[in-house]
Amino acid sequence: MITLRGRSAAFALEAPLSRAVWMLTNRETLTPQRRGRAFLVEDGEEPPDGFDLYCAVDPERVPVGKPWIALPPLLRHLSAGDVVSVSETGEHVRVLWRQESPANSVLLTERCDHYCLMCSQPPKEREDAWLLDNARELIRLLPPSTPGIGFTGGEPTIYGDRLIDLLCLCRNLLPEADVHVLSNGRRFADFGFASAWAGIRNPRMMVGIPIYGAEPTLHDYVVQAEGAFDETVRGIVNLGEAGARTEIRVVIHKQTAPALPEIAEFIARNLPFVDQVALMGLEMIGFARANMEEVWIDPVDYRAELSEAVSLLGKRGVRTMIYNHQLCLIDRHLWPFAVRSISDWKNEYHPECSRCGVVERCGGFFFSAKYRHSDHITAIPSDALTKRDVLHV
Amino acid sequence: MSAELTFDTASHTADAIQRAAYRFCDRISIELVSDEAAHRCTLKPVGDASLDALIGDFRTEVLDQVLRERIRAETEPIRTMILAQAFSKTGVVDSRGHA
Amino acid sequence: MSRFRQLEDFQPEAAHWELLPFRFERLNGKVLVTNMVGEHLILAAEEFDEVAEKRLPVDSALVRSLRAKHLIRQAGDRSPATLLALKTRTRYRRLAESTGLHIFVVSLRCEHSCPYCQVSRQSSDKERYDMSPEMAERGLEMAFRSPSSAIKIEFQGGEPLLNFGLVEEIVRRAERRNREEGRDLGFVIATNLALLTDEILEFCARHDINISTSLDGPADLHNKNRPRPGRNSWELATDGIRRVREALGVDRISALMTTTKASLDRAREIVDCYLELGLHGIFLRPLSPYGFAIKTKNYSAYDAERWLDFYREGLAYILELNRKGVMMTEYFSAVILKKMLTNREPGYVDLTSPAGIGIGAIVYNYDGSVYASDEGRMLAEMGDETFRLGHLATDSYEEIMTSEALLAPLEESFAPSAPMCSDCAFEPFCGSDPVYHYATSGDFLGRKPESDFCRRNTAVFKHLLGLYESDPSARSTFLNWAGR
Repeated sequence: MITLRGRSAAFALEAPLSRAVWMLTNRETLTPQRRGRAFLVEDGEEPPDGFDLYCAVDPERVPVGKPWIALPPLLRHLSAGDVVSVSETGEHVRVLWRQESPANSVLLTERCDHYCLMCSQPPKEREDAWLLDNARELIRLLPPSTPGIGFTGGEPTIYGDRLIDLLCLCRNLLPEADVHVLSNGRRFADFGFASAWAGIRNPRMMVGIPIYGAEPTLHDYVVQAEGAFDETVRGIVNLGEAGARTEIRVVIHKQTAPALPEIAEFIARNLPFVDQVALMGLEMIGFARANMEEVWIDPVDYRAELSEAVSLLGKRGVRTMIYNHQLCLIDRHLWPFAVRSISDWKNEYHPECSRCGVVERCGGFFFSAKYRHSDHITAIPSDALTKRDVLHV
Repeated sequence: MSAELTFDTASHTADAIQRAAYRFCDRISIELVSDEAAHRCTLKPVGDASLDALIGDFRTEVLDQVLRERIRAETEPIRTMILAQAFSKTGVVDSRGHA
Repeated sequence: MSRFRQLEDFQPEAAHWELLPFRFERLNGKVLVTNMVGEHLILAAEEFDEVAEKRLPVDSALVRSLRAKHLIRQAGDRSPATLLALKTRTRYRRLAESTGLHIFVVSLRCEHSCPYCQVSRQSSDKERYDMSPEMAERGLEMAFRSPSSAIKIEFQGGEPLLNFGLVEEIVRRAERRNREEGRDLGFVIATNLALLTDEILEFCARHDINISTSLDGPADLHNKNRPRPGRNSWELATDGIRRVREALGVDRISALMTTTKASLDRAREIVDCYLELGLHGIFLRPLSPYGFAIKTKNYSAYDAERWLDFYREGLAYILELNRKGVMMTEYFSAVILKKMLTNREPGYVDLTSPAGIGIGAIVYNYDGSVYASDEGRMLAEMGDETFRLGHLATDSYEEIMTSEALLAPLEESFAPSAPMCSDCAFEPFCGSDPVYHYATSGDFLGRKPESDFCRRNTAVFKHLLGLYESDPSARSTFLNWAGR
């Protein structure tokens, strides 16, 4: 997840901002509502009155006599419905929500008790509960029709009951949203917490918990924390007992790929009650990039293990999905399991893809794939797709 | 025809020998006499069974039964605990609220 | 990066291993090990010795497999016990769901005269050999006393279609009663299909009734076992199968074979016969050892070994079909595979421990007597009332379900406390069959070294495990069967 942020090109506020979180609105989306709204100045016309903050796309065209900031260069493409946080002085701007994105992820903290070899959001130890406060304000601004929201970290359960409160708020204000929370699951080993979590009773909420081994040594190594596997597994059991929707995620890389069939067998035999298992391709950012030697593996080199894992899970009734894998790198019979999930897919990125007949159906690439990707990307003729390749959900 | 086998009491229990004997009861009939020092087994074939071929297997089985006895003894506490948890009303969560 | 620790740092410090409960059997120079819930691992003999003596080095790859399969744990691990308890609880969950299958013998009359059948009567004396409406009503009362959330009512005989009026009555009353009870109610008629009419089919369609029939194989094989006036048992059965598929649906009919000596050389033909009729599952049934089969000289110890050849040949052919994309399940193997590869209960009453008698299935005979199983009823027809639990007119649910006639065989045959079974690595895949052992050796437990039930099952377990470990396409098919 890439957080867009930057320094305002210029700013002129009479007083420090009274709030941190702002939803952008423009002429097309204008309503009498002013609270929490910032007006997006996109042209030279006189903007409407009454807003506590104006965000100008062009530092040359700013509203005189009104509190304004000129958006950082990277953020000039923002649109109405997007939500930003702005520092008190107006100097720093960070994007919290992009209306056009099908999968927004809200960062709740950068603190974490793990240190995964391939972590895409490397942990930071500093106090950052203001991220939780921002998240609350964001939820209050989003329209009730919002279709989905994700919560990530770091480790969000660090907040304990405050996280539960936030998720209750989310359930109440965003009743249409599929809510996906990522967690290492360890806090759920405390049944009281797992019970409180299930007590949120949002039928659209699911927690995604990673498992990287069929036994402690491998998993604890990948997450760099002793005792992690034992606690995480107990957490998942508690979530099952409490009736909370749970997903197990397995990020496949050089360390976990050889053990993938054992991990699948372990899940199928011990944790078959989970709602789904997501087998995920590696994102080449954060620690994954730094640890490339330890974690990079060409997906074609684990085709067999991946097929075996899907067989061990799927045939015994565990809902299994493959994320972030290009179709040309996985066995043909696995295509129905492959989810088209990456939102920043750019199809002019790899020359083979521009010739590929199944590109519309493919999982695509992370933006970060430019740092490393398979040597075996190959265009596939378009008649390779059949009706059976519709993902069975 | 018959054969005599001796097992010392230090490393073999009568129970282990009896369990081994039970497994072979369709092929060998076994008479067991034990004193402080040793267990003495008299083996006789049942039906057409060939005693020579079976003696080696029987010895191996006795050793395996000794091993099974040790495993049973070592794992009895954890087995009891697992069964208690499995059949308790509160599921697999213990009284302190932990899985 | 130097901040990241190595894999070795996460291996346990001292080799402080604790064994978790497991059992083992030696197989062709290797050792099969199974944990408390039947998960297995096959080790080399030396590896097994290292495990047993706990001298496996901490960096051994085998250690990871043993931990993953809950055969050993490191002191301090808590999830193994939790997971074993959870899996154990799942495996025994069916006990709270007694009794699932209620067999109503609606008539003893039958127009066939199969040599091995001891129960049927060639008679038109309905008064004498049909179940009365009063007994049927009492039987339903008893059925709904079962705590099970799913109740399956199976109509048997003789030939149940000869008393179809009572079948209709029982179905209607059960449905009416179920409006308050809200169970998952299902019906099946076990019939030879010779007397099938369109009216009967229509009733079955309307009330979601399934059909179970007998199909021994090709016509000559089937007809030899099943004489009837007209000598056309096979023609009627196969025509009936077609009609049921078309009128009710392809999943609404299943066929069972009775295996006789004559079947043993014809595995492929029998499977082909099922295939041609559009049946996508077959039960390669073991030979029956019961008195009536012995009476008709249809069983001997030698045949037990031949049956295993028959089974292996039939299974190999079925696996070959599956490789070609043909859907054909072998149900006996599927039951065992479910126990081997999942924690789910296949619900097959003849291969569970505690035994399925009474608590898995129960029989209400035409005359109101209650039996612990169908075979128990057959023994009674031959003069042995050991498995008679009581009578619908005189005994209550409690009296029947706590009768000595039921509890004694259940207790005595319980495998985990039986000699040899309690040590056996295959025990999680197996079951108790007190009726079988009583019929063949005179007591509920039997002596397993002499038991063909044990020999046969053990051979089948070894065969299936061997295929699972060595043949990827068989493994794939087995996973499908286990998961269904």
